[in-house]
Amino acid sequence: MAAAVRLHTEVERFVRGEAIAVEVGEIERALGELWQQASASGDGRTAAVSRAALWNAVFLARGRGGLATAKQLVDEIAPALPTRALTLCLDDERASLDATIESNVVSQPGGARMVYSEEITISGPANAERHFGALVRALQIAGVPTATFWLDPAAPESLLSRELLAVTDRLVFDTTACVRPEQLFDVERIATTAQPLPITDMGWLRLGALRALFAGMFDPPIGGAPLVHARKITIEHRAGCDTSALLLLAWIGVQVGWRPLRAAQTSDGGVRFDFARAGQPVSGHLVPSDGPCGRSGILCVTLETGDDRYVLRRTALDQTLLQIPGVPPKPVKLDSPSDAELAVAALGSRGRDPLFVRCLSYARHLWSLEPDTAGSRR
Amino acid sequence: MLEPSGASSASAVLPNPLREGLAEERVPEPAAMVIFGASGDLTHRKLLPALYSLTRDRLLPARFAIIGFARRAVSDDAFREEMRAACSEFARRRPIDPELWASFARNIYYQQGEYEDPASFLALKQRLTEIEKTQGLHGNRVFYLATPPSSFASVIRSLGQAELAPKPAPPGTPKPPGAAPPFARVIIEKPFGTDLETARALNRDVHEALDERQIYRIDHYLGKETVQNLLVFRFANGIFEPIWNNRFVDHVQITGAESIGVEARGGYFEQAGSMRDMVQNHLLQVLSLFAMEPPIAFDPDSVRDEKLKVLKALRFIPESDFERHVVRAQYVAGSNGGQSVRGYREEPNVSPTSTTETFVALKLFIDSWRWAGVPFYLRSGKRLPKRVTEIAVYFKEAPHLLFGRRGESIRPNVLAIRIQPDEGIALNFGSKLPGPAMEIAPVSMEFRYGSSFGVEPPEAYERLLLDCLLGDSTLFTRADEVEASWTWVSRIHRRWAEEAAQGKTALATYPAGSWGPPAADRLLTADGRAWRLP
Repeated sequence: MAAAVRLHTEVERFVRGEAIAVEVGEIERALGELWQQASASGDGRTAAVSRAALWNAVFLARGRGGLATAKQLVDEIAPALPTRALTLCLDDERASLDATIESNVVSQPGGARMVYSEEITISGPANAERHFGALVRALQIAGVPTATFWLDPAAPESLLSRELLAVTDRLVFDTTACVRPEQLFDVERIATTAQPLPITDMGWLRLGALRALFAGMFDPPIGGAPLVHARKITIEHRAGCDTSALLLLAWIGVQVGWRPLRAAQTSDGGVRFDFARAGQPVSGHLVPSDGPCGRSGILCVTLETGDDRYVLRRTALDQTLLQIPGVPPKPVKLDSPSDAELAVAALGSRGRDPLFVRCLSYARHLWSLEPDTAGSRR
Repeated sequence: MLEPSGASSASAVLPNPLREGLAEERVPEPAAMVIFGASGDLTHRKLLPALYSLTRDRLLPARFAIIGFARRAVSDDAFREEMRAACSEFARRRPIDPELWASFARNIYYQQGEYEDPASFLALKQRLTEIEKTQGLHGNRVFYLATPPSSFASVIRSLGQAELAPKPAPPGTPKPPGAAPPFARVIIEKPFGTDLETARALNRDVHEALDERQIYRIDHYLGKETVQNLLVFRFANGIFEPIWNNRFVDHVQITGAESIGVEARGGYFEQAGSMRDMVQNHLLQVLSLFAMEPPIAFDPDSVRDEKLKVLKALRFIPESDFERHVVRAQYVAGSNGGQSVRGYREEPNVSPTSTTETFVALKLFIDSWRWAGVPFYLRSGKRLPKRVTEIAVYFKEAPHLLFGRRGESIRPNVLAIRIQPDEGIALNFGSKLPGPAMEIAPVSMEFRYGSSFGVEPPEAYERLLLDCLLGDSTLFTRADEVEASWTWVSRIHRRWAEEAAQGKTALATYPAGSWGPPAADRLLTADGRAWRLP
């Protein structure tokens, strides 16, 4: 990310050890007690503690494993972004709703202290879903926008549509978690329902650096000619990362103006798409492969014009090699941002990228193309 | 020029459709940056670390070359090693990433030459063309003048003679089809002239070789996040602009304080003094952004037009009342940061009888509808207790004080805009103390960039280098702004020169580690006010 996450090294964490009843007044009182605790400095004096908040962030988790994953992400984001994080967990092993709270405090120059982020985790059985909307409404910090992180594609959609969308100002997906491209259909449906909310996708942001590098290959003096005259594009990806590869192909297709025609499964286990641009055929290939890659799973992108090949290949986890005809191959570092960095970016200006929704729709369209005589795609 | 297969010629280059709508759209086109004065302090401390940080943040294109140019004979590899050490010490993100550095360093080159020697510039042109060819660059070039100011004119002349920076087509010329032709831009460091005459002469020299649209006069204060936030603060929030005028503002204080002395720059500072070093550029630029009218658009000329109006509206210091508006002083031995420090006249390369000011305090007025009658107090100095730059806006008292007892007054509301360090904004207001009595205590509501956002603000040079590469000159100073500020400042210098000619130099002293001389305090106490302790 351009502005990478900076974790406050001076963060102090205040935790209310035992779970408390899910009663809004009780939660706010407990947070106030943590606030008071934070205001007592080491020398026994008390100092005013202010609070910063840019976002209310709502996370949804299912089961203990899901809660642990969500909690880890929240813990990583908390010191980096002033938020009130509300983690909602549906867990069939629980008999009732309860809550735990934490408060992260930072010291400012001059000794003042500031509550930087608050974490409220509410867990309950599956039927607790109906309470979550009201709880989020009651616990939101007033006047601060709310982002809902819908990171589990299999989470109950009714919770989002009935309870959470109404209180959400930005909806965040993570399509990297879609292990099957068909799951993009669900994401697109929710995105359509949520309109006109700003929609962002951590999977899309995860591809951001790679897209920027690939786009940079066609800056002057090369220019857009190779894209316009392309005959074939091949995206090699790790098995199970078809969704990332499909979104990447969709981005190029949308931007260059390729009209999708048909799709077919190929003998190497991949998928071939046929496009047309200005009456000329173009083929796009998603090819499963092995090699070093980040969570996006993209290993190599090759664009062929007939005579020339433009290649972006990962040579190590954080290294790529750019190959442009007429220019010596150029190694370029490519970072793999952490989930916390992506989540913070999703709440920044990069989280308002209207191109994502267009590419999502195009990707869904590609995947729903009727197979040609070469065989079924799925 | 590179002729890659697949692209017939530079003039027929098609626009890149993948750039359109890319969330990282602020990545500039491939380019080469030539730094004149590559062996100097600025290159080591600021420029290369800024370029490294931009690379790290993926804000520079993958195809980007840096060519250091200076008199010293150094190999490419030796220069790269020097720059690695510089980035290791000064880059915002440290330690440096070895893999990233390896890839970054491959794009760094060094070219030895003389600033006045046309042959050196022809050699530079040849080298630059070779580098552009091997790096796959389009001919986009930025030239950074980090040289001593005495070399500015000769470097610009030589750039013109060697045709390294051709002028763009005049405004209104129909654009050729395809991608834009390559650009050539020149960044000029401060000081831009030493008075009105030299600034005008330099502008003439510059305009002979270059078009004003190619020139980026840098004042790094304008690259600071809080200075830019000043515009957002004023023009994106509905509550502040209505009170940003003489009906509500009592006075404004702008402080630019440094705790360091002149260090190794005694020779330069002897010629400059605080007025040239800080006031003419940094403080007047900050003042003009603070006081300007809302621009009609956030584009370079709209913003700079409004800043210019403020500079033109500065009332000249009245000759008859000069001492009550201008105080200059020089530091003598004192204490700073727990260390005894020497006085200015004992600094290296400083005359023992020097009358150069290391501190200046000013009371000035802006003759405009908005600011009529509001005094602006400016001060800047070296060896002050701490390094701090801030604007403090003092608001008028409530019209009827309900709560003052026994002649007590309630502290005025102060909005403090901290430019450096700890960039941020604080608002002081009175609040009732808990308890039965109606006691009022001042409280401060603070917003600080460093702790309120999860991101570090970029260094000023990062922002400004990126803006130049993107062709955005909003945060750079235009020729007429420079001349307007010199017009105002030169009147003060002329008065000082007359005093010196008459043997009547009025130069106060202040101990290092103090907030300046008593005379500076009297500028405000005479008006019933006092300097804020930042």
